[in-house]
Amino acid sequence: MSWRAPSGGVLRAFGLALAVASVVLPALPLGPLFAQPPLPLAVLWAAYGWAAEDEISWTAPVVLAALGLLHDQLAGGPYGLFVALYLSAYLAGRVAAVLMSAPNLISLWGGFIATALATVGVAWLLAPLGLGRNAPLTPYAETVTVTAILFPLVRPLYMQGQSRQQIRART
Amino acid sequence: MRRAGAGRRITPGVLIAVALGLGAAVLVALQAGRGGVLQAGDDGAAVAGRVATGPARASENLVDRIGAMWSAAARVQQLERENRELQTWRELAERLAERNRRYEALLRMPVNSFGEGADIERSIAAQLVLDSGGPFTRTLVANAGAEHGVRVGFVALNENGLVGRVVSVGRRTSRVLMLDDYTSRIPVLGESSRVRAVLAGQATRPPELISQPYQVQAPRLDFIVGAQDLREGERIITSGDGGLFPRGIPVGVAQGGRDGQWRVSLSAAQRPIDFVRLVPFVGLEAPEQTLTADAGPPPGVSSSVAVVRREVMTAPPTAPTPAPRPRIVLAPRTDGAAQPPAPPAQIQPEPAPSGPPQ
Repeated sequence: MSWRAPSGGVLRAFGLALAVASVVLPALPLGPLFAQPPLPLAVLWAAYGWAAEDEISWTAPVVLAALGLLHDQLAGGPYGLFVALYLSAYLAGRVAAVLMSAPNLISLWGGFIATALATVGVAWLLAPLGLGRNAPLTPYAETVTVTAILFPLVRPLYMQGQSRQQIRART
Repeated sequence: MRRAGAGRRITPGVLIAVALGLGAAVLVALQAGRGGVLQAGDDGAAVAGRVATGPARASENLVDRIGAMWSAAARVQQLERENRELQTWRELAERLAERNRRYEALLRMPVNSFGEGADIERSIAAQLVLDSGGPFTRTLVANAGAEHGVRVGFVALNENGLVGRVVSVGRRTSRVLMLDDYTSRIPVLGESSRVRAVLAGQATRPPELISQPYQVQAPRLDFIVGAQDLREGERIITSGDGGLFPRGIPVGVAQGGRDGQWRVSLSAAQRPIDFVRLVPFVGLEAPEQTLTADAGPPPGVSSSVAVVRREVMTAPPTAPTPAPRPRIVLAPRTDGAAQPPAPPAQIQPEPAPSGPPQ
């Protein structure tokens, strides 16, 4: 009996489910398992991976915006903060995908770290606007750090191969 | 040819018949008024009948058993189905028992745990259905809203102590701002030392909170007045200053940090916050707010007091008073019965305290 690697569609579905779970599960009163922050924010993985994989798809930003709105609602607002964070991760991921000529794990990891730092910068700009000037940025930075550390483990869920743009560039 | 009289012979059959007939008659005569013999006969007949019909009944049971064997598989399936249903009911019963236990714990809250002035009769027990889902804010969502009578400003507490305050209300839900949110500021005091302070939610997570069992963080104490008197492990309660919280709700225990910063280990963090009581609190208005301009003794009442003067009590030297308050001074009067109504009150701004709050 041979083991077959799951297809790209299955991995993508798992990635989306993980992203949704990372938004919803911390908001549910499930006890200490999900109550001890910081938990990774899988939507950042999804934004980065989808940006590299599907440059021409319009569904990725729409899904990211919807997840951002859901996250804003669960967190108690303000609406738009997480939408901006996730879409900024998507845009930073696009830039990183263009800059990487020969992506490997290290460069992909570095690209994700840069993307995550970009979202921290966006949070530094936007959080005081929506939450007041004393809005804490450290918990989000901790969350992003954990997310960046765990990126190599989940990369296959979001980045099955090289981006079409990179393939076109090679050909 | 028969001789005369020779044919009148009693046959043995007739004799037996007569004997039996007489015996029956005697038997009937003997058992008149007594049923014991008949009952004994019945018993005997019953035994005989059981013995006689036993094989028939045995074969009947055998048929049933054989028929049951044919339907055993279906019966097992039915029992398994019933078992699953019973398991579901058992889980439901256990959940309800747990919920009931939590409600009972909430309802058994001592009166003094609500603080002074809380409207316990109109308090609402609610279950927390959503936790804070983001890294920026610390809020909880309870499943009681405007339809249940919840309003903004209700105090959220459980049997352990203060949880927070309702900051927004929907139709069926309400959002509770927790004490460890970075925007939370609660006036508190030490129960034994009477030291006053402001409990400030933390913007960052102190390292020692990793040992906390749940997500609630330890807010710090700001603007401590008389910090040298605050004792390690002292119980911290709400002071009631500001009128948003009743006085006397347990908040937590004071803990001195290595950096000299006092923090409070929240009582609500002792166990997961699943149920809360949302308690309305209408703080008493300050006397200067309720005092009317023509206030004075009732007509017809004479008073020997020549000058009626009320002023706001200045804050004690140890208490922070950030904003100046108006001072109301009533005009003098000599005789309440004969004098016309008192002139309007003169409101004078009270000077700000000399020293800034710490």
